Amino acid sequence: MRDVYVAGIGITTFTRLEYPLAEIAAYASMMALKDAGVTEVDQVYVANMGAPRVNHQTALASAVADSLSLLPAGAAAIENGPASGAAAIKAGFQAVASGMDDVVLVAGVERMREVNNLEATDFVATLTHPLAEYTYGVTLPAHAAMFTRLYMEKYGVTERHLAMVGVKNQNAALNNVWAHLQQEISMEGILDSPEAMTNNPYVAEPLRFFDACPVSDGGAAIILVSEEKAKELGRPMIKITGIGQATDTHAVFEREEPTDLLAVRKAAKDAFAMAGLTPEDVDVAELHDAFTILEIAESEEVGFFPKGEGHLALEKGDTALGGKIPINVGGGLKGRGHPVGATGVAQAWEIVTQLRGDGGKRQVEGAKVGLTLNFGGFGNNVVCLTFVRED
Amino acid sequence: MSVDLEKILRPVESPMKPYEPKYMMLASGEAVVVRQVFRDEIPDLLKAVEPLIHVERDYYDVVAARVYAELLGYYQYRFQDQYVLALQVDGELAAIVNGRQVTPTLGLSLHTLALRRGLRIGAHGFAAKMEYHIDALGHDEVLVVAESPIGFRRWMIEYKLEKRFETPHELGGVPSWALTRELFDRARSKLVVGRRPVPPDLLDKAMDKILPPSDPPTPPLDPLAATRALYDPTATALVTQRWEMEKGAQNA
Amino acid sequence: MAREIYAYKCRLCGTMHYPFRMVCKGCKQNDFFEFDTVPLPKSGKLLTFTTVYNLPAQYDVATLGLGIVELENGMRMLGQLEIDDPKIGMSVTGRVDVVRKETYDNYYGMVFTAA
Repeated sequence: MRDVYVAGIGITTFTRLEYPLAEIAAYASMMALKDAGVTEVDQVYVANMGAPRVNHQTALASAVADSLSLLPAGAAAIENGPASGAAAIKAGFQAVASGMDDVVLVAGVERMREVNNLEATDFVATLTHPLAEYTYGVTLPAHAAMFTRLYMEKYGVTERHLAMVGVKNQNAALNNVWAHLQQEISMEGILDSPEAMTNNPYVAEPLRFFDACPVSDGGAAIILVSEEKAKELGRPMIKITGIGQATDTHAVFEREEPTDLLAVRKAAKDAFAMAGLTPEDVDVAELHDAFTILEIAESEEVGFFPKGEGHLALEKGDTALGGKIPINVGGGLKGRGHPVGATGVAQAWEIVTQLRGDGGKRQVEGAKVGLTLNFGGFGNNVVCLTFVRED
Repeated sequence: MSVDLEKILRPVESPMKPYEPKYMMLASGEAVVVRQVFRDEIPDLLKAVEPLIHVERDYYDVVAARVYAELLGYYQYRFQDQYVLALQVDGELAAIVNGRQVTPTLGLSLHTLALRRGLRIGAHGFAAKMEYHIDALGHDEVLVVAESPIGFRRWMIEYKLEKRFETPHELGGVPSWALTRELFDRARSKLVVGRRPVPPDLLDKAMDKILPPSDPPTPPLDPLAATRALYDPTATALVTQRWEMEKGAQNA
Repeated sequence: MAREIYAYKCRLCGTMHYPFRMVCKGCKQNDFFEFDTVPLPKSGKLLTFTTVYNLPAQYDVATLGLGIVELENGMRMLGQLEIDDPKIGMSVTGRVDVVRKETYDNYYGMVFTAA
């Protein structure tokens, strides 16, 4: 298997974007191509979850490839729920590692604000089990809420811990010009003042408004290349060293221990094994905090902290910028926004930015090893990637 | 003669109890003051509302245009029994809500215009307006309509408003919804907040002058982006424009 | 006739499934249609729950109670709750009723009330 490097990255502002879907993907891709210094690619993968349903567009990858004048490169769209982004990176990795392609463009894109919030909620809910879950009116916030309640009962996580993640990540987004939320929040405003419960109402008890990521439009792109090509391009050598992907039961209630996220555990374990790394080696991580509880739970399952102690590490500031293992320093999904198909690629964008030392105010000093965790479904399809800077 | 004509044109104003100011904390930790704005300060509001007429997204254009007309009508004595409340953060205008009294027992909600987003300021403003109708003016119910999906979600669903579809709303003639005293009392504990009296320093700051918002909603990069996208699917001009703007943002 | 929700029992190894899957997760034998239907029990204990405030577009109610119930036979299922003050571990009983309506169609599922 050949080594695979990230030679270029690009992103759009995450917000409400009133542009055609393919153009959002193409915009991020143009930045990535320009960053890498290439004008031709062998293969295009476009990660997206909702184009046919939300944007009434199919065969998105062909549209993106043509818009970028990358013809006659191969192109395919990859739909894997909210883990589409990292799944597309995996496909791009395989294409380069196998020797089949030398330069692959992986773009992730979503335009969810084309429809109203209620329809967007329904669209995301279609990833649940059609008969045993979706029929009942289950939404992703509902799944996360039921999971949170068990976590609170079992490990003593409180609403304060959840709010701490929310404040940490939303305020971190102030250091990221591409992030959706550019509004500072405070513990007092969302938890402690007499008005807090109105400022921060329940979306699904016990989860509140500021525990959930916003609904965003946006795109992100990376260019994957072989070692030979990477050296020729002369960009910083950021290598993808580990990839793990795992699945879990479609219906969440079927899991033996409902507070375990086995697919996260397995995906991270496999990625670390492939990379020859341990959780202690990671300098900066992007976890999938679509809901605040997920950052806590994933930080445990990935192996940064023992099970049931993620919230204690959070209290100590271990996960903040400057802490033991800074998590979501660019805002995470909570602050940056969560255009579902783009998220996995945007996480890679953030980690590559960090490993290149381009993080500005949010830079983790001396970061050499980064990790992304892209969480699809409610934990039923998870991809973990590790990135290492080679000097 | 002209003086007499003006007398005919001006509506007779009913006595309305003034709104007692209150304040509350926002998610950001900042304090917002809600207070009534009378005729002499309307020009300050007009200056802040006018640019929003050109913000062609999130229904800012239609709502701002109508609010502008309502405020101007109030200022020039062409609107009967209108009241205006302003929400201010550190003196800066954060939201405007207005409505009017139809009869001594019936209120009518006009608009809720939030100039800061993401902090539920509009929701606080709407709650304050309903509080004014029901608690201060003693209305039995308030007729409400929504012009945007955000408004619909807030008012119709959160307050579980009743249908009054037989009554066309003054705002656009569409079927009305109603907030009754009973519904308001039910929502009170969850949706209506605020502390009184407002500490003197906060109140003085708010009363001193309505400052323009420092970060108001702005038009999309291309004001016709949404329209043009329909005809220009590759939208080359837009890409170039965005590119320039965001290069600027990145270097900032 | 009382409506039921069915579990699927593998004819080869006896493993019970809900919801339906094509291949048994117990013996993984790739034989077709090797399941018997068994009605799910209707009573059990509430494992976790939530009240949802932001519902998908089709619902015109303001909130919806949802919970995961561990049924008497140890299997679990998700259902709607009609319980004012749910508590983890409380006993519940279910009935099969309409849980979702879409224009012309009614969808049935389990609705739990306090036992």
